Amino acid sequence: MAHLNQFRFWAIGLASVWLTCFVFMPNLLVVITSFLSRDPVETVALPVTAGNYVRTLDVLYLQVLWDSLRMSLQAMLVCLVIGYPFAMCIAKLPKKWQPIALFLVILPFWTNSLVRVYALQFLLGQQGLFNNAMMGLGLIKEPVQMLYTEFAVIIGLTYILLPFMVLPLFSAIEKLDLRLHQAAQDLGAGAWSRFWHITIPLTSPGIVAGCLMVLLPAMGMFFVADLLGGAKNLLLGNVIKTQFLVTRDWPFGSALSVLLIVLLGFMLWLYYKAAGFVSKQGGINGSDF
Amino acid sequence: MKKWLAFLAVLTISGCSKQEAAAPAADTSAAPAPAVATGEKQKVVVYNWTEYLPESALQAFTKETGIEVEYATYESNEAMYAKLKLLDGKGYDVVVPSTYYVEKMGKEGLLQPLNKDQLKNFANLDPSLLNKPYDQNNQYSVPYLFSVTGIAINGEAVDATKITKWADLWRPEYKSKIELMDDLRDNFYIGLRLCGFQDNSTNEAEIKCAYEKLKALLPNVKTFNSDSPKLPLIQGNVSIGAIWNGEAYMASKEMKNVQFVYPEEGAAFNIDSFVIPKGAANVDAAHKFIDFMLRAESAKAAIEDLGYAAPNLAGQALLDESLRTNRMVFPTQDDFARGTIHSVLSDDVMAIYSKYWDLLKAGQ
Amino acid sequence: MAPTSKSGRWLSWGYLAGVLVMLYLPIVVLVINSFNASKYGIHWAGFTWKWYVKLFANEGLMQAAGHSALIAVSSASLATIIGTLAAVALHRYQFKGKAILSSMVFVSMLTPEIVLAIALLIIFILLGIQLGFWSLLLAHITFCLPFVIVAVYSRLRGFDMKMLEAARDLGATEGKIFMKIILPLALPAVAAGWLLSFTLSLDDVIVSAFVTGPSYEILPLKIYSMVRVGVSPEVNAISTTLLVVSLVLVIVSQLLLREEK
Repeated sequence: MAHLNQFRFWAIGLASVWLTCFVFMPNLLVVITSFLSRDPVETVALPVTAGNYVRTLDVLYLQVLWDSLRMSLQAMLVCLVIGYPFAMCIAKLPKKWQPIALFLVILPFWTNSLVRVYALQFLLGQQGLFNNAMMGLGLIKEPVQMLYTEFAVIIGLTYILLPFMVLPLFSAIEKLDLRLHQAAQDLGAGAWSRFWHITIPLTSPGIVAGCLMVLLPAMGMFFVADLLGGAKNLLLGNVIKTQFLVTRDWPFGSALSVLLIVLLGFMLWLYYKAAGFVSKQGGINGSDF
Repeated sequence: MKKWLAFLAVLTISGCSKQEAAAPAADTSAAPAPAVATGEKQKVVVYNWTEYLPESALQAFTKETGIEVEYATYESNEAMYAKLKLLDGKGYDVVVPSTYYVEKMGKEGLLQPLNKDQLKNFANLDPSLLNKPYDQNNQYSVPYLFSVTGIAINGEAVDATKITKWADLWRPEYKSKIELMDDLRDNFYIGLRLCGFQDNSTNEAEIKCAYEKLKALLPNVKTFNSDSPKLPLIQGNVSIGAIWNGEAYMASKEMKNVQFVYPEEGAAFNIDSFVIPKGAANVDAAHKFIDFMLRAESAKAAIEDLGYAAPNLAGQALLDESLRTNRMVFPTQDDFARGTIHSVLSDDVMAIYSKYWDLLKAGQ
Repeated sequence: MAPTSKSGRWLSWGYLAGVLVMLYLPIVVLVINSFNASKYGIHWAGFTWKWYVKLFANEGLMQAAGHSALIAVSSASLATIIGTLAAVALHRYQFKGKAILSSMVFVSMLTPEIVLAIALLIIFILLGIQLGFWSLLLAHITFCLPFVIVAVYSRLRGFDMKMLEAARDLGATEGKIFMKIILPLALPAVAAGWLLSFTLSLDDVIVSAFVTGPSYEILPLKIYSMVRVGVSPEVNAISTTLLVVSLVLVIVSQLLLREEK
C-alpha cells in the first residue's frame, strides 16, 4: 500500500504544486487586477471596481472577440482537414518510417516562426513567388492580392499550428485496432462507412486534443495578424497586448483576458456537457476528457 | 527506452549545473576583452534595440577600457518600460528610450541624473537637439540618434513630385498603395495636423476629428508596419510609406529610386537617448560607455552602419560629403522648425487615444 | 491500420509528399536566401557564404542560440516528465480537487502570452527568483505543460485499464505498472508532447522577453529584434544551420538505434 501511495503522491503532487504556483497564482493575480483601477504611477491601485468588465461589453471588443474566434476556428478547421488525412497517411507507413515522417513534419517548426512568416510574406506578396508563378503560367494577368488579407492570416495561423494538430491526431490514429476495420469490412460496411462510424469516433479524443491545441493558441497569436493581416485586422491578442503595454490599462487588459478565458472555458464546458462527459456535479467525468 | 530517459536526465542535469557555474562569470557579446589590470572584470549592462549600436564601437570600447559589454535587447519602448518599471529600475546600466519615455521615466523616478563631468564628449553634440522639453538641461539623457517620420516614396511606381504634404496621402489614386507605421502617436499626429490642430492634443473633440480623418484614409492603407517598414516598400507591396527616414535610407540602397519627403504640415521627430536607470549597478562604467559613444568616431560608425542621424557635430564632420548632405538622413533646420516631438500624455488622455485607435484598427 | 491497395498506397504517399512540399516551401526560400548576396532576398544577387561567416563571428548570436537550445531541451524534458505523470494521474485516479486541476490545465493553455509573461514576472519577483536561466526554465515548463498533459491524456483515454487492476492484484507496485504498462502504451503521445514542448520553447518570444535576465540572451528574442531592423540574412543563416544540425542529430540517433538492434 505504501508503494501505491508513493507513486500516486508524486504523480498528483508534482503537477498540483506546479500548476498552483505557476498557473493558479498568476491567474489569480490577473483576476484581482481586473477588479482594480488603473493608476498613473503605481500601475494599479484601489478602488475596487467592476467597471472594467462593463467596458468589455462594448460592441467594439465583442466584435474583436468574434473576429478572433472566427479566424481561429477557421484556422482550426483548415488544420483539421489537412491534418487528419496527413496523420492517417503517416500511420499507414511501415513502422520504421513513422518516426522519420513525424520528425519531417516538425522540423520546419524549429525554424523561428517569425522567420517563417516573413518567408510567407515573400511567397504571397505582389511580386512574390506565387503571383509570379501564376502569371508566368498565364493563369492571371495581374498580381492577385493575397498578402495583407484575412486569407493570409489564416494561412499563417495554419502554417504555424499544423503540427499541433497532426501529432495528437497521429497518436490517436496509431492505436486503432485493425480488427475492428476487418470485422466491419467482413460484415459488408463500405470504406466511407467504416471511416465515419468507426475511425472518427475512436479517434475523437485525438481530434479534440488537436483542435484544442490549435484553437487556444490561435486566439492569442497577434504577430501573425500584425505581419500578414491588412489594415483592418485587430485580434484580441493585439488588443490585450496594447492594453498592457501601450495604454498601460492593466485592469482592463486583465478583464479582457478573463473574459476570453471564461468564454472559451464555457464553450468547452458546453461541448463536454453535450457529449455527455460532464457528471451531474459539474466536474469533468473521471475516465473521459 | 531507459537509455533515452537516462540520456535526457543527464543532459538536463549537466545543463543546469553548467548554468550554476557559468552564472557568476560575465557573459560577453563583444570581442574577448584583455584582462583588466586591477582585480575584478568590470562590466556594463546595456539594454537597447538590437543592432542599434555599431559593433565596431562596442569592440573598440572594450578594447580601450577593458569593460565588458553585456547586451540585452527589447523590441519596443513599451516592453522596455514595463520591464524596467517592474524591476524598479534595477538590472540594467544603460538604456536607450525614445523621447517621451525619457520624460515619463524621469517623472516616475526610474532614472538617475547624469554626471556631466564624466561626459567630456558632451560638447560634440548639436545644441539644437539639446535642452528639449522632454528633458530640460539634459538632466537625465544625452541624445544618441534621431529619426523622422515622413513620407517615403517609390519613385518608380508613383510620381514623387506630386506629394509634398500629409494631405496628399488621401488622394483616391493611392488606393491600397500606402503603408503606415503601427504607431498610435505618429498616426494621430498626422490626423491632428490634417484637422488643423497641433500634436499632443489632449482634447477629445480634436482627437475624434483626427480619428475621422484617419478612417477616411483607410482605403488607401494596405498595412500597418513597425517591424521592418522598409520591407513592404522594397518588396513592391506598397508604393508610399509614412515611415522613418532611416528605413527609407536603407530602402534607397536596395531600390532604384526612393524619395523622402518632409511634409509641409511638419514631420514627426524622434530622439533616442542614453539614460541610466535609478538602480544601475555599474554607474561609472555606464558613464564611460556613454562618453565613448559620444565620440566622433563612434557617432560616425553609428550613422554609417544604421542609416540614422546622430546629433553629433564632430561625428558628422567625419562623414562622406554625399552622406553629410543627404537630406534623407540629415533634415534641415527648417524641417526641424516645422516638425514636432511627441510629448508624454497622461494615462487618461492615452485612454482616449487608445479607444479611437482600437476603433480605427478594427475597421469600424 | 487496415491494409491498403496499391493505388491507396500511392495516394497516401502522394498526399504526404504534397503536404510536406507545402510545409517546406517557405523553408526552401529561407535556405536559398541565406546564400543570397542580396540583403533583402527579393532578387537573386549571387551566391555567397558571407552571412554564415558573419553569423559564426557574432558571438552574441551564437551564445543566444546555445542558451535557447539548452532551455528548450531542459524544459521539454521536465515538462514531459511532470506532464506525463499528471496525465496518468488524471486518468487513473480519483482525488479531491481533480476538477480544479483539469480546469487549471485548460486555463494555462488559454492565457494570452503577454498576460502570462507579466504575471509570471511578478510572481518571480515576489518569490525572489533570480531572472535568468531559472526563471526562463520555470516559465517555459509552465506553458509547455498543458500540451503534454492533453496529448498524453487523449492517448490514454480509451485504453482498457482493467488489465492494470489485474496487474495490481498480482502484486505489482504502481510505479512498476506505470513503467511497464502505461508508459509503453502512451509512448507516441509522450514523444509528441516532448516534440511540441521543444518547438514551443524554441519559438517563444513574449514570455521569455519578460522573464529573462539581462545576461541571459535567447535566440527568438534576438531574431525578433534583428528582423525588425532588417538584418535578415544572418537570421536565415542561423535558421538553416539549426535545421541542418537537427537533421544531423536525428540521422545520427537513428543510426545509433539501428545498431542497438
